[in-house]
Amino acid sequence: MEATKKVLVIDDDPVVGKSFQRVLGGKGYAVISAASGAEALDRLAREDYDVVYADIKMPGMDGLEVTERIKASRPWLPVVIVTGYGSQENEARAAKLGVAGFLNKPLSPDMIEGSAQLALMQEAKPAAAKAGTQAGPVSFIKNVGLFIAAPFIGLAYVVAFPFIGLGLLGWLAIKALAHRGVDVDQPSSPDSDVR
Amino acid sequence: MEKLYVHPLPVRIWHWINAAGFIVLILTGIQLRYADLFHVLPFPVTVRAHNWVGFTLIVNYFLWLLFYLFTDKIKVYHPELDPAKHFRNTLRQLQYYGYGIFKGDPNPHHVSLYHKFNPLQSVAYQVIMILLVPIQFYTGLLLWDLERFGGSVALFGGVRVVDTVHVSLFVFFIAFIFVHPYLASLGHTWSAHFKAMLTGYEEVD
Repeated sequence: MEATKKVLVIDDDPVVGKSFQRVLGGKGYAVISAASGAEALDRLAREDYDVVYADIKMPGMDGLEVTERIKASRPWLPVVIVTGYGSQENEARAAKLGVAGFLNKPLSPDMIEGSAQLALMQEAKPAAAKAGTQAGPVSFIKNVGLFIAAPFIGLAYVVAFPFIGLGLLGWLAIKALAHRGVDVDQPSSPDSDVR
Repeated sequence: MEKLYVHPLPVRIWHWINAAGFIVLILTGIQLRYADLFHVLPFPVTVRAHNWVGFTLIVNYFLWLLFYLFTDKIKVYHPELDPAKHFRNTLRQLQYYGYGIFKGDPNPHHVSLYHKFNPLQSVAYQVIMILLVPIQFYTGLLLWDLERFGGSVALFGGVRVVDTVHVSLFVFFIAFIFVHPYLASLGHTWSAHFKAMLTGYEEVD
């Protein structure tokens, strides 16, 4: 069974995400949109994706900066740059970051689908190399092993949680007390020294 | 809102058969255990219903198990191996359920194909589905025919031990039957998760 490929589209314009959804939605891709670079990085920290599309011009973090951060933590993840403001400088910067593609708006369905396939092919090579002999039965055993271990790891988390919670409360209390101590002992502004 | 296909058909079929079966098992179980308080059906009918529904759910469970074992969806039941990440996300989720939800804060968990459960649900369902439900079925099977399974019953410390485990889990599942629909009603609309378990599609931001 072929797994659904997850595509993250980063664009402050929701129409772009919807276009990707329309083109890729029924073709074995799950398209998830992020309206900003920060939201995208937050999603990537929590979930795995197969391809990322990033718009260059966005408020806050631009697409190239997002790509840089993605490549720093997940160099294997293919990122395709999308822009309505293509320039040689941007293309050169993107190429240096090792992007899987550079698309100029307006996008056509063929451009979207073709770039996704191309990006996934690029990803498949290192992934296969990384997996090595782990495909097939080994992967099955690993999956089942994790499945069987899950409730025991879960129970360990449940047992440990009150201690973690108490530790956290203690830490917050110490931090609050230390902060209060600083407020009381130290003058709050240079003016108070003058007086 | 986008739609994500997170509940495949076999899981939905299993879920609703399981839900109906658990309600029957709980009702017949209450009558079997507390016959003096709750008496609806004739006793032999209640015993037969409890046994047959129990066997049906055991078969249903194995269908669920085979589906997960032989598809990539098994990842849904994989544990979080990074404790720091697990506890951080758990605290965020607890903060949401305990406080943020009443202020209209967004849910910190975003449903995705392989992460349909939030950290609290994830641990709960791993323990329930891979540990507690099989124990409940197994103890039920032992109690079904004490003569045939006499050796196993003795191995676990006798009928009293097996019965206590079965009844304790039965009490737990009664609580679950109340908590589960309540938590299921906490989607972006009260019916969103119920619809998702019928259609397979969860609506995500």
